Amino acid sequence: MSETCMKDLAGKVLFNLEVAEDFYLLRLAVPQIAEGVVPGQFVEVKVSSNYSPFLRIPLSICKTDPALGTIDLLYEDLGPKSRALSLQQPGCEIAVLGPLGNGFKVTEGDRTAMLVGGGIGIPPLLFLAGELRRAGRQVVLLVGARNGKKHLPDNLLNAAAGEIRKATDDGSAGHHGLVTNLLTEKLTGGKRFSVYTCGPHAMMAAVTAICKGHRIPCQASLEEYMACGFGVCVGCVVELRPPENETFSSPYLQYSRICIDGPVFDAHRVCW
Amino acid sequence: MAELGVQIAGVVFDNPVLLASGTCGYGQEFAPLIELGRIGGLVSKTITPTPRAGNPPPRIVETPAGMLNSIGLQNPGLEGFVREKWPFLAQLDTQVVVNIAAPTAEEHGEMAARLDELEGIAALEVNISSPNMKDGGMLFGCNPAASAAVIAAVRQATRLPVIAKLTPNVTDIAEIARAVESAGADAISLINTLLGMAIDIKKKRPILANVTGGLSGPAIKPVALALTWKVRQAVQLPLIGIGGIATAGDALEFIIAGATMIQVGTAGFVNPNAGMEIVAGMQSYCAEQGIDNIASLIGSLEV
Repeated sequence: MSETCMKDLAGKVLFNLEVAEDFYLLRLAVPQIAEGVVPGQFVEVKVSSNYSPFLRIPLSICKTDPALGTIDLLYEDLGPKSRALSLQQPGCEIAVLGPLGNGFKVTEGDRTAMLVGGGIGIPPLLFLAGELRRAGRQVVLLVGARNGKKHLPDNLLNAAAGEIRKATDDGSAGHHGLVTNLLTEKLTGGKRFSVYTCGPHAMMAAVTAICKGHRIPCQASLEEYMACGFGVCVGCVVELRPPENETFSSPYLQYSRICIDGPVFDAHRVCW
Repeated sequence: MAELGVQIAGVVFDNPVLLASGTCGYGQEFAPLIELGRIGGLVSKTITPTPRAGNPPPRIVETPAGMLNSIGLQNPGLEGFVREKWPFLAQLDTQVVVNIAAPTAEEHGEMAARLDELEGIAALEVNISSPNMKDGGMLFGCNPAASAAVIAAVRQATRLPVIAKLTPNVTDIAEIARAVESAGADAISLINTLLGMAIDIKKKRPILANVTGGLSGPAIKPVALALTWKVRQAVQLPLIGIGGIATAGDALEFIIAGATMIQVGTAGFVNPNAGMEIVAGMQSYCAEQGIDNIASLIGSLEV
């Protein structure tokens, strides 16, 4: 799939519904983005026509339908920007800049793909799961949430993966405990795995440590406060280690921009 | 169509709109997104004598009608710029102003001398105003003598026009403006960001890893405008207005207050087309007002 050049486009709201506690599913008609986007890429959505809130909201794409020209965005209402977005009614047009960033690498031989997501990190993994299955990979989805109400509805999850395991902090759905416990349990099965993760920083750090222990590849999609989304503000950075047996030729390379150099990185290079 | 072209120190810009330093990188990211040839030019992100890693994250946070940043001048250094960034900038169909900063006046001069060897730079903008540089920037710009020393060193080292970029974080910006004028600056750009801070009340910690940062965006426009007006009355040099400009109306306020040109910065993060829209809006305004040449509007404020 070719990655298309980003554009600032008008997206028409087709629906914008609450699908779990504080989680909204927004479908936008924006054919130029729907066509070329790959899993892990995101868009910057303008939620206000005045200065409150001022900056756009960066959102991962969780599904695309190139034939219908639509993209789906799943977001949690946890601040002024997502609140403003949740008020957008069908028929409205909102500015969408995208597709932005680099997606997950899908070609990693025939390893079983283990997708580990937490909270609002799950949407890009749903998109990824579909692409992996299309590429003939076996897909296992491990999802964590604070409680059962915070889990995305089964119809959204089930469409994505062959096997789904849930964990909750309070035990109200699935495994009582951390999603990383499920990962450790699965990895002892002896199959050849590669891991893809997106979610809270601490969860991704733990996932990466587990993968390192098992010497398996891990890609992580990162998040940070973001202003522009296309590389010019240099605000959303992550510190990376140089590739193995190499050193950075300049201190300039110590921090990479999540928006344009990522958001997906080799998790083993991230300084968690 | 009204004439929007303006001149600063003999350099002709097609229109008065520049993209501000630190908000358009070294041109590569904006080039596919907008028609750079339709704006007056861009000011490249600050370069320092040697490469800098910048500050740890979080580096930015949104604030009412604006944002704080503490990027910390992450840049490839002078030679990295010449090698890796300048070739792209040089072939752009727009004027390129190169922004520089250094820890000493002498190093500012050395940078200017090296950049003087390149073909095609429109002007140098000297960043004596970054609030995120612990060994320069605002440290110079808060002091008239230190500001003058830096500008004099750059002036002596180059034939390029020299623009001094001033900080608002001073008691009397007019005094700094007079100092850089006396030291040989060709123009003054103002303002850089206002020193600001945001706190996470649950963690009782600053949100920015650097604790403080620079405030930009529409929130600072009235401050920038008042300081532009103040400096207009203090010096003869052409001014370049910066601070919260997001629309043609904003830009025109600065021109009426006495700025020859303006820079669009943070607004471009939200609306990459802001610069082009401002140029178009200036054209419409001139048509409505029966203005043939935007130059006639500069400093036309009646008090």
